[in-house]
Amino acid sequence: MEEFLSFILRWPIVEDYFIAYPWAWPLNEILHFIGLILLIGIVGMYDLRLMGVAREIPVAALQRLMPWAIFGFALTIFTGLLFTTGIYANLEIDPYTVLINDGYLQLKLIFLFLAGLNLLAFNVSGASRSVEILGPGEDASGKAKIFAGASLFLWITVMYFGRLVPWGQLSS
Amino acid sequence: MEFLDFIESSSLSIWLRESPSVLAYPTLLAFHTFGMVFLVGTSTAIALRLLGFASSVPLAPLRKFFPVMWFGLSVSVVSGTLLLMLDARLFLTMPAFYIKLLGVAAALTIMRLLRARVLSDRAGVDTGPVPRQAQVLAGAALISWAIAITAGRVTAYASFIGWQSAAAVLILAVVLLVGRYITVRYLRAKSA
Repeated sequence: MEEFLSFILRWPIVEDYFIAYPWAWPLNEILHFIGLILLIGIVGMYDLRLMGVAREIPVAALQRLMPWAIFGFALTIFTGLLFTTGIYANLEIDPYTVLINDGYLQLKLIFLFLAGLNLLAFNVSGASRSVEILGPGEDASGKAKIFAGASLFLWITVMYFGRLVPWGQLSS
Repeated sequence: MEFLDFIESSSLSIWLRESPSVLAYPTLLAFHTFGMVFLVGTSTAIALRLLGFASSVPLAPLRKFFPVMWFGLSVSVVSGTLLLMLDARLFLTMPAFYIKLLGVAAALTIMRLLRARVLSDRAGVDTGPVPRQAQVLAGAALISWAIAITAGRVTAYASFIGWQSAAAVLILAVVLLVGRYITVRYLRAKSA
């Protein structure tokens, strides 16, 4: 398992890309930022509407911006995987070694998973359907507000631990 | 320079720079990221609405999200000032730093203008498309933010790498926009 993971996480083609072009790493960071701005900016706005900010906006109307948040999410995942699979080019440490040693990276992934679970529960519990019909001035249910608050909190935590990743213990 | 030296060697700067605690420098950087996301993320969502996406969102209530932007701006300015104090000489002699500030200033000016002209109750339009001029301004705000983010990120690199990265961002943006333009025209021609 360990050998398999160390093997599968290192992508020579990505390492070569980062080594060949000095601009590749900063470009990847910039795209990661743009992705998280789209994701958390738009999801955060949606969460705040559910929590009571700008109630005049119908929730279904705001939801039409979600494809941009999903695009942002895809961009962070893609650039995040490039960081992971090409990390050896930058640090000369295996991505697997970083993954099992860096507590901040682990916390980030755990909170990312929790944000996903929260979204799943928001949908499965019917709270997402209950807010879709909210028109101008209508307030979300207490349950939906808790999901929205949790979402905002979890995404901020993901960002926090994500920013700390370079300061984690990178190898044993 | 003497003044910058003085700031860099203040005890707060030294603690923030040299403390092994994750609550010092790394947390300061994280706050700068939070500020950026609330400021740029919220204004990006508003700009996308003005560019024609989610056009059923009424315009006037979007003003209520401006306090979120100003909150993000305050967090960015406070954390940014502290980060600047740590390496005042480095940042203040770096073109990328001034380009970033100009990008931020331009974007903020445009957002304030849009708030006053397009998002006010008196503007007449509430849902649906906005005037062409407002769309151009919204596009300009997005470009200004992209410049600010790119310039800000490359302050961590040698200047030639910074310029190369900026060129890479520009090329990528042009390719994506041209690609989108061609796709949209092709789809329109096909459906016509």
